[in-house]
Amino acid sequence: MSDDKSSIPDPKRFEVSKATLWFDHFMGWAIRFGGISVIIAVFGIFYFIGKEVLPLFQSGKVEENIKVSAEVAPLILGVDEWGEMPFFYSAGKSIIFVDGKSRERTEMQVPGLEGLEITACSYDPVNRRVALGLSDGRVGSFIVGYQRIFENGEAKGVKPTLTAEPWFQMKSGAGAISEIAYGDDGAARVIAVKRGMGETCSVEILRLGMKGGLIGGKKLALLAEVDVTAQIAGEPEMLCASQNGSIVLAANAKGEVTYLLADSSGISKRQVFTPFGESGLAEIDFLFGGVSAILTAKDGRQQQWSLYRSSEDAERLFGMTKEFPSIGSGKKVFAKSQRNRTFLTGAGSELSIRHSTSGAVRWEGKTDIEPAAAILDAKGESFWIASTSGEARKYEIKDHHPDAGWEAFFGKVWYEGGAEPVYQWQSTGGTGDFEAKFSLMPLIFGSLKGTAYALLFSIPVALLAAIFSAAFLPADVKRIVKPTLEIMSSLPSVVLGFLAGLWLAPLLENSVPSVIMLVLFIPATALLIGFFWCRTPLSFRNRFGGGTEWMIVLPFLALAAWLAWSLGPVVEKIFFIYTDPSGAKIADFRLWWPQVTGTRFEQRNSLVLGFIMGFAVIPVIFTIAEDALSNVPKNLTAAASALGANRWQVVWTVMLPVASSGIFSALMIGFGRAVGETMVMVMATGNTPITEWNLFSGMRTLSANIAVELPEAPVGSTHYRTLFLGAVVLFAMTFVMNTIAEILRQRLREKNKLV
Amino acid sequence: MTSDSQKTEPFATTGRSRKGEPLVWLTAAGLAIGVVMALGLFLLILVKGASSFWPKRIESFELRKGDSSEQVSGFITQTRERKDAEGKAVEEIQIFRGNKDLSADTFLYADTRDIIARNISKNTLLIERLTYGPAIGEAVAITQGGTRIAAEAANFRSALNEILEKSEEMRSEILHIERKEIGKVSVAMEKLQRDEKAKRKSTEQATRERATLQVEYDKLKAQATELEQKLNTNTLTYRVAGGREVTASFSQLLSIFAPNQTGFFERLGESFRRAWHFLIEEPREANTEGGVFPAIFGTVVMTLVMSLFVTPFGVIAAIYLREYAKQGFMVRIVRICVNNLAGVPSIVFGVFGLAFFVYFVGGAIDRNLYHEALPTPTFGTPGILWASLTLALLTLPVVIVATEEALSAVPRGVREAALACGASKWQAIQRVVLPASLPGILTGVILAMARGAGEVAPLMLVGVVKLAPSLPIDDIAPFIHAERKFMHLGFHIYDLGFQSPDAEAAKPFVYATALLLIVVVVTLNLAAILIRNRLKKRFAVSSF
Repeated sequence: MSDDKSSIPDPKRFEVSKATLWFDHFMGWAIRFGGISVIIAVFGIFYFIGKEVLPLFQSGKVEENIKVSAEVAPLILGVDEWGEMPFFYSAGKSIIFVDGKSRERTEMQVPGLEGLEITACSYDPVNRRVALGLSDGRVGSFIVGYQRIFENGEAKGVKPTLTAEPWFQMKSGAGAISEIAYGDDGAARVIAVKRGMGETCSVEILRLGMKGGLIGGKKLALLAEVDVTAQIAGEPEMLCASQNGSIVLAANAKGEVTYLLADSSGISKRQVFTPFGESGLAEIDFLFGGVSAILTAKDGRQQQWSLYRSSEDAERLFGMTKEFPSIGSGKKVFAKSQRNRTFLTGAGSELSIRHSTSGAVRWEGKTDIEPAAAILDAKGESFWIASTSGEARKYEIKDHHPDAGWEAFFGKVWYEGGAEPVYQWQSTGGTGDFEAKFSLMPLIFGSLKGTAYALLFSIPVALLAAIFSAAFLPADVKRIVKPTLEIMSSLPSVVLGFLAGLWLAPLLENSVPSVIMLVLFIPATALLIGFFWCRTPLSFRNRFGGGTEWMIVLPFLALAAWLAWSLGPVVEKIFFIYTDPSGAKIADFRLWWPQVTGTRFEQRNSLVLGFIMGFAVIPVIFTIAEDALSNVPKNLTAAASALGANRWQVVWTVMLPVASSGIFSALMIGFGRAVGETMVMVMATGNTPITEWNLFSGMRTLSANIAVELPEAPVGSTHYRTLFLGAVVLFAMTFVMNTIAEILRQRLREKNKLV
Repeated sequence: MTSDSQKTEPFATTGRSRKGEPLVWLTAAGLAIGVVMALGLFLLILVKGASSFWPKRIESFELRKGDSSEQVSGFITQTRERKDAEGKAVEEIQIFRGNKDLSADTFLYADTRDIIARNISKNTLLIERLTYGPAIGEAVAITQGGTRIAAEAANFRSALNEILEKSEEMRSEILHIERKEIGKVSVAMEKLQRDEKAKRKSTEQATRERATLQVEYDKLKAQATELEQKLNTNTLTYRVAGGREVTASFSQLLSIFAPNQTGFFERLGESFRRAWHFLIEEPREANTEGGVFPAIFGTVVMTLVMSLFVTPFGVIAAIYLREYAKQGFMVRIVRICVNNLAGVPSIVFGVFGLAFFVYFVGGAIDRNLYHEALPTPTFGTPGILWASLTLALLTLPVVIVATEEALSAVPRGVREAALACGASKWQAIQRVVLPASLPGILTGVILAMARGAGEVAPLMLVGVVKLAPSLPIDDIAPFIHAERKFMHLGFHIYDLGFQSPDAEAAKPFVYATALLLIVVVVTLNLAAILIRNRLKKRFAVSSF
């Protein structure tokens, strides 16, 4: 009455409180922000893995950064391991060092060269040794050493030192020494020497070794001197000794190369080959490791020749393994890397960096001077070139993965020592000059092989189970059976792998014939029961409810399995008889298989793997296929039944075709699950990267390879990035498969809606 | 989506048509195989895992060895068939005889034809030791502080039990000193070193403090040594097969059990005791003895931390996708991609985790916050935090998909009713939509935990080790050590089965660990399924 106002509601009552609105607004943005950042983070995975892989496919970069002049024409150009202070030597008494930073030029006298006439010299960058030949037939050498100078714990330039080595007087031959080559691997050393010129020239090989008593240490001494003139074709123009001190190559003017091997039995000619025909050779140089040589023709053609055995028991001989693009004509230069199979080569003012394993040109460029000599530093991070006028240039190299590239990962590569180009994965080796082999093909093959055998077993079981479950199983039974199978997919794969490796593999090793019998017996039993069941009287069949077939069939299957298992040894005695070398016959499948097929039999093989992977793959395929089949519209199946189709006809003519794309997507998701499986693969496959479809051997899969090797791979190395590339391949395989499957599934859903 | 709602009877089995009937039975066989495989595997691990705790009877064998014979006692671990040189099948038994300190081959294969005699001696004992695995032999006497009590004496058993109990106490005291007290001192030492390097403390001050710590360390060490010596005065002498007598200090002996004179229930009790010790003890002897407590702890902590990360982010992303984002082509693409991420191999996530979390993020943290410790990495090395984050990414799709499904299952009417009552969008989500979809979200999180707990491959790259010296959470400040490496049940299985120097001895342990892991994973999965089923019923009522 007096409270009139209360009948008119206060308009403020309908206003939303500011705080609510503000909070709503805030939450809206917070969730947008959060949601979008989570999604970005998820896709950041692709970006980040890609970022790690990308450097593998970049070519090398080279940058000029220092120009100096030594004012002499160098015959030999050398440099310290940091690429800071090159030296120039032109067969005189002194040697010139130029500091790259301060441009300071220092001339140093080489000890012990007074009054001698030097007629030949050569340089071995690994030991930094200059080999010298004299006019009186003496050979010797000196070593250029460098010491790092530190000031307050920081590197401050380098200091050169020269160390003379003993002289050796040659006994055979006459005249001045005109060519010299020095090969040294620490223990064995050879010096190849050419004395005189023209008709009267001779070629000798000196072998040096450490000799000495127990006291006073060991001394370098001449072990043998062999005249090999008669063994060499023609008058040699060039001599080249390998770093490991056992191989000498001599080339003559006609382009013939003679291969001499110095081993425990002496020195002997092994081979004469003519790489470029008549046109003649301009350069012969061994690569790092001393197994391959790069031969350059006068016209600029370039080939790699490597030592290999063409068959198991053939001799190791040189053969051409690679042909590089021509470097052009002009004065040739060459420098090899001391840590991998990269080399710098060029003609005229054109330079290029090439990698011998992949055969790729890593970099190509032009210089402003015409180099007469070139040298790579020990780390392969820079190189120096010098012209005849003494001008020198330093170039920085940025090429972290010279051995990478499409060819190396996915193509056949002719590795050193191999008889032919192959796909091979071998990431680490025992020796320093080991050549890493990074072909992903054996791993991709391994992944596909493992997947194939896993699917071979899983697909039939999963699809049959899905059909029965969707078409015949009563709903209340299905509510229990389906989760039971689904829980199987949650089994940790490490448990499956352990069971495969330690329980199943030893169990099946002796019982392969039994397994074969099982594979034959189980389906046959099921079909037979079906055949006889529908011939039993209806009154008998009516006692069993619909959808109980799988329970009825169980005891029969168990019986069949027992029968098959015990029949195995009997079958083995009849069919799988191995004849050993002495003629005795042993019934053993493990021995029989290698004898008949020539492939190996391993305990951890694809058979074990296929079965165990079933535990991981069957539930995946089963669930999706079952869903697809169950969702076939009822009116379609009912219509088919009404038209007189029996139960199998309904399944075969209506359900399967309608659900086919769903089933297909189930298979693809199953594929994705199998291809990415890691622990089972690590534990049950033996992890050998072989490429054969043999059921009784293992494999090495991409996933297992990553798990095993990545923890040990140095960060940022080619190996590390290659493993990332493996992850990308794996990811791409599964992602593509899953996307197709997902799209198919969505299509199917829409299609079923329309019907 | 599933056909649970279809209540119609399946096609009758009793048609007159015989066409295709064998194929129907083939599909039935397929289902039967699938179910048998699933149940068979669980059963296998259950039986093998549980039986690994069961104390077997110890038998004494007399084996022919050339012309002479050899006495061996132990229990049979395996019977197998082998083909001899003539290709004839021979039965062979594998005997575990323990006493690794006396002979290197603790497992012995014997041809059944070579067994001259076998019997079960009542007095044979199974003696668990700290090192060298169990010993098998008959007790001769114990020496307690100089007095000798022979095995035939009446008070032998009680004296033995008393010493065992006392030793146990002293051992735990020593352990406490070595782990906790000395651990604290060494942590202080490390900190001091870092401080000195970073010039937070002068050299003189550091030297002074170091001396104090050293005194404390020496004192503790002396305490431990004294206790150890006290323990060593008590010894047990036992006779192994073949007659050799061995004297062992009680500092080495853990428990003594006589499996040949105990009944079923006593042995059952012993099994439970072993199972309990398996759960709470730390591993010994290259993980082949002792327990798996650090692995359980590591698995649990890792999974919990993972769900701590994955739940909020997954739920927020799902709410965004379902409630806020404009439903169009882009969102469909994102949804397909997120769905597919669930199918991306776990090892790929591990690779990412190593590159991103460990080297990129961890490296940056080290450079900025743990500069003094370099070049020893603190966070720039695999650890439990990175492992949890990696697995969180791995399981993110699971949570997103489950949450989205749960959100979309909330009936439109409920949502509209909330809005009609004047709720703002966020209020509707917070008060109505989220509570209604909570069970669905929970299902997703539990499934994610189950997946995370069972995953091993990515962990091998980002933080798991075969033997971690300390737990990621302990009572030494700062209590939570997110940078530490940890042990994991799954990796433990791999390591024991495939990397162990004594794989044969580790086998029972592997089965037991596998059983444990499966129990955890299956329980989580069953919980998820149960919640899902209840959820369905709820919505059946609430939809209108």
